[in-house]
Amino acid sequence: MPDLGQSLGAALAIGLAAIGTAWAQSRIGVAGSGTIAENPELVGPVIIMEAIPETMVILGFVVAAMILML
Amino acid sequence: MLQKMRKILVTGSKRNSQEVVDVLYHAGTLHLEDVSNRIMEIKLEKWEPEIREEITALLVKIGGILLTLPDVKVDKGHRDQMYEEIYWMKYPDLIRRTHAALSELEHGVKDLSARKSDLGLALTALDRYEKTIRKIQSLEDQLPYLEGYEVSVLLIQKEFEALIPVIRHELMRITRNQCEMVVAGIDEDTIAAITVFNKRMSEEVHSFIFSKNVNEVRLPPEYMGMPFTEVLQHIEAKREGMRDQIREIDDELNTLSASRFEEISVLRDVLLDRSREIEAFDQFGQTGHFFMVMGWVPEIYLNTTRDALFSRFGNLVVVTELSLSRDDCEHAPTFYNNPRIVRPFEFLMQLVSPPKYNEIDPSPLLAFFFPLFFGLMVGDIGYGIVILIIALAVKMRFKDLDWAQSLMSIMIISAVPTIFFGYLFGEFFGDFGEMMGWIHPVHLFGVTWNRIEAMIPFLIFAIALGVIHIFLGLCLGIVNAARMRNKKHLCEKVGMLTAVTGIILVIAASAEFIPVILVSAGIIVLILAFPLLIYGGGAVAGPLEIMGTIGNILSYARIMAIGMASVILAMVANTLGGSMEVALLGVLVASLLHILNIALAMFSPSLHSVRLHVVECYSKFYEGGGNPYKPFKKKPEV
Repeated sequence: MPDLGQSLGAALAIGLAAIGTAWAQSRIGVAGSGTIAENPELVGPVIIMEAIPETMVILGFVVAAMILML
Repeated sequence: MLQKMRKILVTGSKRNSQEVVDVLYHAGTLHLEDVSNRIMEIKLEKWEPEIREEITALLVKIGGILLTLPDVKVDKGHRDQMYEEIYWMKYPDLIRRTHAALSELEHGVKDLSARKSDLGLALTALDRYEKTIRKIQSLEDQLPYLEGYEVSVLLIQKEFEALIPVIRHELMRITRNQCEMVVAGIDEDTIAAITVFNKRMSEEVHSFIFSKNVNEVRLPPEYMGMPFTEVLQHIEAKREGMRDQIREIDDELNTLSASRFEEISVLRDVLLDRSREIEAFDQFGQTGHFFMVMGWVPEIYLNTTRDALFSRFGNLVVVTELSLSRDDCEHAPTFYNNPRIVRPFEFLMQLVSPPKYNEIDPSPLLAFFFPLFFGLMVGDIGYGIVILIIALAVKMRFKDLDWAQSLMSIMIISAVPTIFFGYLFGEFFGDFGEMMGWIHPVHLFGVTWNRIEAMIPFLIFAIALGVIHIFLGLCLGIVNAARMRNKKHLCEKVGMLTAVTGIILVIAASAEFIPVILVSAGIIVLILAFPLLIYGGGAVAGPLEIMGTIGNILSYARIMAIGMASVILAMVANTLGGSMEVALLGVLVASLLHILNIALAMFSPSLHSVRLHVVECYSKFYEGGGNPYKPFKKKPEV
């Protein structure tokens, strides 16, 4: 059973990373929607761009899981 | 793998120019290059065919006729035969035949179409009369039948009810009090004002009503003074008659279509082809006596193209293979020529611009690593089987959708490693298989590959896979730089490879995975990499790029993280389903969650797998910006 510190650390690791990712994705999403409206052929690169900030939350998840499980 | 391209120049007498273009269009192998003004020794003029406007006009006429003629089923074999016959006609013959076909049809179809359109309009008017009469039918008893008086019905929206006294007052003034108005609500929104006035004042009254933009329903003169029930019967009878006439016209059009649709539609297709050929004429060149067409042909189609021209023109048309300069290769079109198993992954390559002709085609790399990453992330026998079934079903159902075929082929290929890794991780719909005692995680290399418990080994495995993938990307970058003879890029890639090797040696030795003495070896390797990085990438950007590459490698941790999220969701589904007291409800809840997880599993790991390639790996070697091979040929029908 993880103690309070561990739980708080894990929550911060994933929570802050998720907020960062969400903020970045929202900005990219807005710009991406505009780009696709202008040129629908760019949908592929926009999807890739949208996925780029997910690295943050994924690494946050890894860190949180390691805090809780190790 | 990219197909080798050959650059050819087709020359011949101007007399054969049109037919040569037809043959090339039909062969559909030549990627055209603008030859006009390209060959400096000979003055070439643009090819300006005169018949461009005539073809456009004929296409417009045919389009109009085909819009009117109903579609009929035609025998494909017979149609293809007719197409072949007409396609090879010379321009004057083609134009003559089209004019002949149109002259026979045009007047008949136009006349029938106009009659049908008139009848349609008349039917609409009858519907309008009928609706109005039905609305005011209940007021019939209140209408006075007076000789020399005219009845007009004004429809006014309820919100403008206050205007009725104003209209009444004005009508009284115009008709010098020889007017009567009965007002009644027709429905929730409309009021009918039935107005009776002296016929002598008709013009002034209607002019006033028109000027005030009031909706007036005027019945045809033959219905004047007739009881409404009788009018409705007349309308019904007239409508039936009109419908019969429309049916007769349709029958006539069907008969015409059955005999002429095939020819007209083939003529349209051939003229469309000719029109597209004409669009390309700007890229051809000619002098007073001969013409030139230049372009790229994939090596595998070179002989087919030569044979097609030779069989028709013999030695009258010459195909010359041109030698390729470095600049030519830089601009050569790229044509994928991959084995069958790699071909579906070319679809994912559309996410980036195509490779340059000189570059390495990354699609085989994608075809190997995409299913591997996907399998590692999903890693479940049950999910793999479901994905396989869904992909097969979609592939069978949507045979005409190219993108669905490619995507589902990718899913089918990826389902195989998913099932394999599912066996390795002991997962069948999460931990359901293990709970039932059907399957257990495999113990391999001293690790029991249960994804939840073996988190660190799995993370190390994912990062190691990232190292291999990035190293492969850097090696391909070295090959590309050598091919392009770009020294700076070559040094940068070698430097990066060396630097990352040094860092890995330092980390591995520090963690005592390898002898500790190798720490100093790692540092030396890292130092050696710096001059190369500085020369290749710049004093600051070069060494800083190491951080980017390390970030790229760490990004492969997502293979473990997404896999873990997937297995946890599957376990939640099983736990939640198992906690239900009613077994059926438990199965339903678990099934719904598994369906959601499978839907996510088909989307998210695909996206991340593509991302690992495009963002992390391709950035190490791929330039893109190539010119895709677009042969001069008939466009596929939509």
